[in-house]
Formats: sequence, structure tokens, C-alpha cells
Amino acid sequence: MIDPLVDVLTYPPIQRAALACVLCGASCSLLSVFVVLMKMPLIGVSMSHAAFAGAVLGMLLDINPFLSGFVMCLVAAGALGPLSDRTDLAPENMLGILFSFLMGIAFLGMGILTRTKAGVLNLMWGSLLTLSGFDVTILAVVTGVLVLFVAVFFKEIRAVLFNRRLARASGVPERMIYYALLFLTGAVVSSNLATVGGLLIFALLVQPGATALQLTYNMKHFFLISAASGIGACASGLVISYIFDLPSGASVVLMATVIFAAAYLFSPKRRRARLTERNRII
Amino acid sequence: MSEHAINLDSVTVRKTRTVLLESASLHVTRGELVGVIGPNGAGKTTLLNVIAGFEKFEGVLSIFGRPETHRRSRESRLRVGYVPQSFPVDPTFPILAVEAVMTGAIGRTGLFRSPGRRQREEAMALMETMRLAHLAARPLGQLSGGERQKVSLARAIIQRPDILLMDEPTANLDIAVQKEVLDLIDEIHRKDGLTALFVTHDFTMLPTAMRRAVLLDRGSVLFDGDIETALSGETLTRLFRYPLETFRRNGRRFISYD
Repeated sequence: MIDPLVDVLTYPPIQRAALACVLCGASCSLLSVFVVLMKMPLIGVSMSHAAFAGAVLGMLLDINPFLSGFVMCLVAAGALGPLSDRTDLAPENMLGILFSFLMGIAFLGMGILTRTKAGVLNLMWGSLLTLSGFDVTILAVVTGVLVLFVAVFFKEIRAVLFNRRLARASGVPERMIYYALLFLTGAVVSSNLATVGGLLIFALLVQPGATALQLTYNMKHFFLISAASGIGACASGLVISYIFDLPSGASVVLMATVIFAAAYLFSPKRRRARLTERNRII
Repeated sequence: MSEHAINLDSVTVRKTRTVLLESASLHVTRGELVGVIGPNGAGKTTLLNVIAGFEKFEGVLSIFGRPETHRRSRESRLRVGYVPQSFPVDPTFPILAVEAVMTGAIGRTGLFRSPGRRQREEAMALMETMRLAHLAARPLGQLSGGERQKVSLARAIIQRPDILLMDEPTANLDIAVQKEVLDLIDEIHRKDGLTALFVTHDFTMLPTAMRRAVLLDRGSVLFDGDIETALSGETLTRLFRYPLETFRRNGRRFISYD
């Protein structure tokens, strides 16, 4: 079983798919730390629908749909920061409104569009095997920026994830960190539309972080476990999809769910919480 | 250098059509511990938020003689420490108590600099002096409300502020735990001589070092003066619009009402 796998890795499209898979796992799972700890799971869906709406507009205006999707994602991220900072609107409600608004725009565009809609729909599913070198380069750059951002601003990110208001009170530029994280979410989602697509990326933005949440109290380990589980889900999903001839995106997401389920079942944190609770009752 | 740590002149805060704070003035001398007392919705937290730089306002605010708005430089923020009301923390959140204390020193460390081992040692030493060392290695979300409030105090203190703002730090705590937190506040104030504002709606449990109280009612300052007059039955009856009497026994303040 190993030899055919090694053989197949000599083909450039497969090499690109394998590399994109690792980059996708790394970028989504690092962001999922922020998505899970800030309790903003809707952000992934909102961003992917921003990209979707952008792509539809791109097709209507005869612009490259990937480019217009990317730009729309960044615009949505830019708008989300100041909007979610308004005290009269809860961030999760804001995300829900933004998400449905973008869906509305996308479907409006789809209704007007008279040409084939295949180019737009591809953004929803993604396709690892048809990636271009340019797609992988963009993904590599975005992942690199994200890794660098987490490494350089780790202490500030920890303070912001813990409590934005307290971080601000302590002189941390929390707004800069928070907005940068939103922009990076936009960039990661749009650069991954070609790999796992806008629908399935939601799983990768939540499950690696949720997996790490079961396993550690250490923030550095949290990022590492999240990255390992994201990359692990992507790599094992790709291998399984190749061996059993299954759709790659679906295999990746199902593997992420399996990894999360295992972490949940064997979570030392849950066991500890149960013990503490039992001791309290006794 | 200005004698006044905080100067607040005719400060008004509006949210849509509601006035949260109306033409409020307050002058706090360096080293004073002032209580801000009032019923729910009196504007106490809004007042604190203005001084902390969380809230837009009209009027004049200066801190140590320097005019400030809600937009602050890092240096200005570092001078003002903030202790919020006890807030829930997810028990699985990946942060230990000592790391939560260390987040208070991040602004002081500055961007692109590693906090290193020294900052952890500093946080440990501070927790030791505040008798919190036994909590250091425990996940913050698994501490009790009172323990979390003490950690919150330590987080504000490690910032080395000149002013400490406390927003109902003893709310939702058991009486015995409230007393522990108040003793800790007294100790910090005595040792560091910090200028401090203590916001509360419960005037029966106050730090003993508090000599002055500002009573707020519907966004306006109703009374500003010594604590004994502030907490007399007559003043409190005006504040709460309900006949109240206060008396002291063994140095403690009690309240009686029909």
C-alpha cells in the first residue's frame, strides 16, 4: 500500500495537492484557536459566503472570481471589526446578519447570472487535484504570514483571547491584534476556497481548536495540538480519499471529526473536571 | 507634577438618547482611596469607564495633569489599572492563574519583546506576597469567584499602575470572601499608596482605608465628602428614596430599614 502512495507523489498535481493539504491544515487550525477561544464559529461561514458573493460579483463584472472573492473576504473582515465593536450589537448576531446579507447578495447575483455557474460553485466544494501553482503559492504566503503573526505576537494574542477589555486596559494594542486576526481569517478562508472549498472549511476552522480544547491548559501546546490535528486530518483525509477513491474534501472533514471525537472521549481535562465535581459532592 | 491624580470636569456620557452621566465632576488627590457608591443604573460603571478610557465622553478629564480622551497612548493606559466585576471564565480555557496575572504586564513589556522567565518569576513573587501562590499553577477557569477576583487584583497590580480602578470587585461573592478581597485591597493601598476608586452598590462592605465617598444618582453626583456623612441614614435615604437608618457596632456599619 505504501509503494503506490510514494509513486503517486512524483506527479506534480499530487505534489501540489499534498503541499496544499498541509498548508490548509496548518492555516485553518492555527486560526481555529482564535475562532474557538473567541467563540466565533460563525466567522468561517460568514467569510466563505463573502468569498462566494465576491466570486458571483466577479463573474457578473467579468473579473477573475477567485480574485473578487479574495477582495470581498478582506472587505468583510474589515467591516466586521468596527461593527462587532459596537456595544449595541452582539458580535455573534453581527456575524449572523453579515452571513445572511452576503448569502442574499450571492443568490441575487446567481439569479442575474445567465452564464454557467460552475466556476462559482467550485468555490463551495474546492478541488485539491486541480490546484495551480499560483493557488499553492498564495496559500503558502498566507500561511507563512499567519505563522509569523502568531509567533511574533503570541503574548498579545493570549491577552486578547483571554479578555479584550482587560488587554486594552493593560496597554496591549488589542484592536490591532483583533482586526489583524479578522483580516487573516478572511485571507485564510479565501486562499483555501480552491483546496477544501467554502462549505467544508467551516469544519477545519472549528474542529482542530475544539480538539485542542479537550487536551491542554497550556496556550502554546494549544496552538501546536490544534496545528497537528488540522494537518493530521488533512493529510490522512487525502490519503484515505486516494486509497478508497473518495471525495478529498469530505474525507478531510470526516477525519477531523474522528480526531475530535477521540480527543473528546479520552480528554484528561474532562476526566479532571468530573473528578473535581465528584469531590465537591462528597 | 499635579497634586490631583484624577480631574473630571463636567463630564457627560450619552448613549443614543439616554444620558448615562450628566455633568459629573470629581477631583481625586494622589494616594486617596475613594468609594463611588450608588444604586443600580446610577452611572458608577460609566464613570469608571470614562477614567479607564473605555467610554467616549463630553467634558474634560485629566490624569496627573495630562488631558485624556477615550483614545489613549500605551503610556497613559499603563498608569491606570483596572479590576472588573467578577466574570465567568470557561473552565477549559487554556490559561493558568499565573499566566492570567502575567497578561497584566504585557503592555509594560511592549511589542516584539519576550516576557521571558523573569516576568513569570515576578508574577510568582507578587502572588506569593498576595498569598495566592497556591493558585498559580491552576487553570483560571477552575478557580472560585473569590480566587479569580484576587488573581484579577494581582493582574492589575503587576501592571504597576499609579491609579487603580475597581468595578464592584466584591459583587457576587460570599461575605467571608468579600472580606478577604477587601482586606487585600486595604493591604495594597496601605503598602503602595495607590490612588484608587472603588465602585460598589453595597455600602455595608467597604475597605477600611476608604475615607471619602462619592454618591451617584441617575448619572449625577449627589454627594461628595467624608464617608461618615455619605453613609448617614439621611444621605442614604435621599440616595435610595427609601427610609434607611445606619448604625455602627464594633466598628462595623449596619443598615436598618422597614
